[in-house]
Amino acid sequence: MRVVVDLNRCQGYAQCAFLAPRVFELHGEEALLYTPAVPNDQRERVLQAVAACPVQAITAGEQAGAGEL
Amino acid sequence: MSTDTLFRRITDYANRPDPYPLYAELREHGVARQEDGAFLVGTYDEITALLHDPRVSSDVRNRDDAEELLAGEDPAAPRSFIALDDPEHDRLRRLAMRRFGPPHTPGRIDALRQDITAIAEDLARGLGEKQHIDIVDDFAFPLPVAVICRLLGVPGEDVPQVHEWADAVVAGLDFSPEEEPAERRRTALQARQAMGVYLGELARTRRERPTGDLLSQLANEDGPDGRLTDGELMSTATLLLIAGHETTVNLITNGVLTLGRHPEALQRLCDDPELMPRAVEELLRFEPPVQFLPQRTPLADIEVAGVTVPKGAPLILVLASGNRDPLRFPEPDRFRPDREDNQHLGFGSGVHSCFGAPLARLETQIALTVLLRRLGSWRLLADPPEYRRSPVLRGPRHLPVERGGGVS
Repeated sequence: MRVVVDLNRCQGYAQCAFLAPRVFELHGEEALLYTPAVPNDQRERVLQAVAACPVQAITAGEQAGAGEL
Repeated sequence: MSTDTLFRRITDYANRPDPYPLYAELREHGVARQEDGAFLVGTYDEITALLHDPRVSSDVRNRDDAEELLAGEDPAAPRSFIALDDPEHDRLRRLAMRRFGPPHTPGRIDALRQDITAIAEDLARGLGEKQHIDIVDDFAFPLPVAVICRLLGVPGEDVPQVHEWADAVVAGLDFSPEEEPAERRRTALQARQAMGVYLGELARTRRERPTGDLLSQLANEDGPDGRLTDGELMSTATLLLIAGHETTVNLITNGVLTLGRHPEALQRLCDDPELMPRAVEELLRFEPPVQFLPQRTPLADIEVAGVTVPKGAPLILVLASGNRDPLRFPEPDRFRPDREDNQHLGFGSGVHSCFGAPLARLETQIALTVLLRRLGSWRLLADPPEYRRSPVLRGPRHLPVERGGGVS
């Protein structure tokens, strides 16, 4: 599974970094770092993070990020 | 009926089972000025804008009637960050967050997964083959209480006393007209103070002998923002304990109630447990445990949907109404566990958005998953169930269900 975060939408609520800390990480108080290729054992956590994002900025799926450079 | 009695009707205990028609009436009128001078807002866009507006205060000392409201309180006593504005709110919240979540403690909530699952499995096993179950007493109440007490480091033998205090504090949020508000506020204040003293004592023992729990860390560790004073530690720990106590209980119980009312959604979740995280978000929209925020106050005259809300007037943001706003959510009165674009107000929004949200989410997802798997087929025995008194932290006092029949 792959994951993409729309960083224009992201407002630093950090819900993803709580729920899937191995995939989403806060750098300082607000900047988000993430691993686009989701390890298999993190799949469930990433789905929780997608659902929990208060501004719906995370897309996950086999096709996420396809078409972007 | 006149809209200036809406708040009285919303808080009337008779309307606790179904306040949603009253919220629809509120949305139709935009901003509704109440007979006592308070202003109710129930539309999604207006609530969201106000939650992000720095002219809206969370500190009731900015109210015109603050003196009466705070009678009996020590004006110098530290307030918890839920009732403060920036920069004080930001400093205290940041200090608490340092030991609760990212960026400094990113793995803390994740590390609780196993504990929460074990507690939920234990409680579910405890149901045995019982035919009749009270979802509140047997499951939804003990779970979050055990989790927040473990996180904070409150010993198990003190949990009943802590619960009694938490109940009294929440009763102070009951606005129903038939009871004496001053008396209720006094009892709530005493309970909050007793809880603060208890947690202060506990923190002192942790200073002498540090343990790994949150309270010990808050008491012992210094960050770039300094350390919480004793008073700040008491008010912060009290806030976390009460909030971690009384809201998730309702979220889990509302979940069981809602699924009991929607057999097709229940069946989908049993067939596809991966849907649970989204179902919990929909639950936070559809039956949020915090129905409205009663303690905001404008610091200046603010125009909201063509109405001027004057500086110092009570401003009540009805989150549960915004969550049902048809301008924001298609078919808002339908519970759809796979709803897309579900940017609900269940945890508020803006700088005061719920501190414990990730914990509440995790607990509820795990609780409902374990419960559905263990319950087998079941049905609601009382619909509507008996509700707790509070119109703010709204949820059933008991939720009796019967196994057998219904959906499995």
